[in-house]
Amino acid sequence: MMNRYSCLTALQKLRLPNTVVVTTMGSAAPWSHLSNSNLDFPSVGSAMGHAADFAMGIALAQPERKIWVLNGDGSMLMSLGTLVTVAQTPPPNLVIYVIQNNTYEVTGNQLIPGGDRLSMTTLAKGAGILHAYQIDSVKGMNETLPEILDQEGPIFINLLVETGQEPPPALDRPLKLVSSEFRDTLTRSSKKR
Amino acid sequence: MAFKICNRETPDDGSLLSLRSERIVRALLDIGMTHSVGVPDNSSRMIFELCDKNPNVQTILVCREGEAWSIASGLWIGGAIPIVIIQNTGFFESGDALRGTAIEMGVPLVALLTYRGYRSLGTESVDTAASFFEPMLKAWGMPYHILTADTESKVFRTAQKEAEALRKPVGVLMT
Repeated sequence: MMNRYSCLTALQKLRLPNTVVVTTMGSAAPWSHLSNSNLDFPSVGSAMGHAADFAMGIALAQPERKIWVLNGDGSMLMSLGTLVTVAQTPPPNLVIYVIQNNTYEVTGNQLIPGGDRLSMTTLAKGAGILHAYQIDSVKGMNETLPEILDQEGPIFINLLVETGQEPPPALDRPLKLVSSEFRDTLTRSSKKR
Repeated sequence: MAFKICNRETPDDGSLLSLRSERIVRALLDIGMTHSVGVPDNSSRMIFELCDKNPNVQTILVCREGEAWSIASGLWIGGAIPIVIIQNTGFFESGDALRGTAIEMGVPLVALLTYRGYRSLGTESVDTAASFFEPMLKAWGMPYHILTADTESKVFRTAQKEAEALRKPVGVLMT
């Protein structure tokens, strides 16, 4: 089990300059403390369970970028069919990270169903995602992730982290405005290339 | 074709449905559709098939309708022009995804919503998928237009203009 900040710090070091990072729930606030990139999109206030499919949409529209989504385990369970959808129309530039701590953390650490026995990587592989991995240490991340991320996606990576006490994430501006600006950023820089 | 939409043979018989589907897809292409996203039903399967045959359109079949709103929202943020195509029953199921993505993000999205049970309206054996449908659209604050014969091009253009002006999803109901 990893400390969440150590885990996210290790991820941040592997991010490429053009990588889009979609965060949600328990990853949103910690990631915002580690990164202030204009390619970060906090999918906050949005429908729980729909960060991965939202990121899939960005990945299909922006094939020249890497798209990472830092999903929660409870969020992933709420839309498991998304794994099948991703496998059916596979974006080669999409990486789905699931931060597994076995709780719905931002609503008060209620236990997710099946947390003590489910295998996220088995679910991902069963859905048809060929590259699915689980990592439980920062050392493991540093040793294996560079090679894993070098593969053509979609890639699924389950990260085992300790339970924390992140509060419900919040935006300081309306999501509508954030979304509009983010679209401008993505499409403007796409045109430049 | 990226994948098979339906195991049944597609009629190529000039039937009303196939002619209508062709007109709808032409109208969707006219408003710039780059992606068709959703779950096919009897009314929309030919639309999906026609979209999938078009090299300028990517078709994305989803497992649950909520994914359609969120994938379409991501596509729009990435610069694409997606069209969501789902049945009214799927609209009911996908409410929170619609709220949390397309509505909250202000996505000017045109959605083709097939109207299961339309002909049962006003009868004793009304299909609640139909009788709940328009009240639910109103409850979600989602403007909509009914697609009538030979008005496809006009209706989709109007829906797109409205979606862009309001920065929200607009429904086109296929009866």
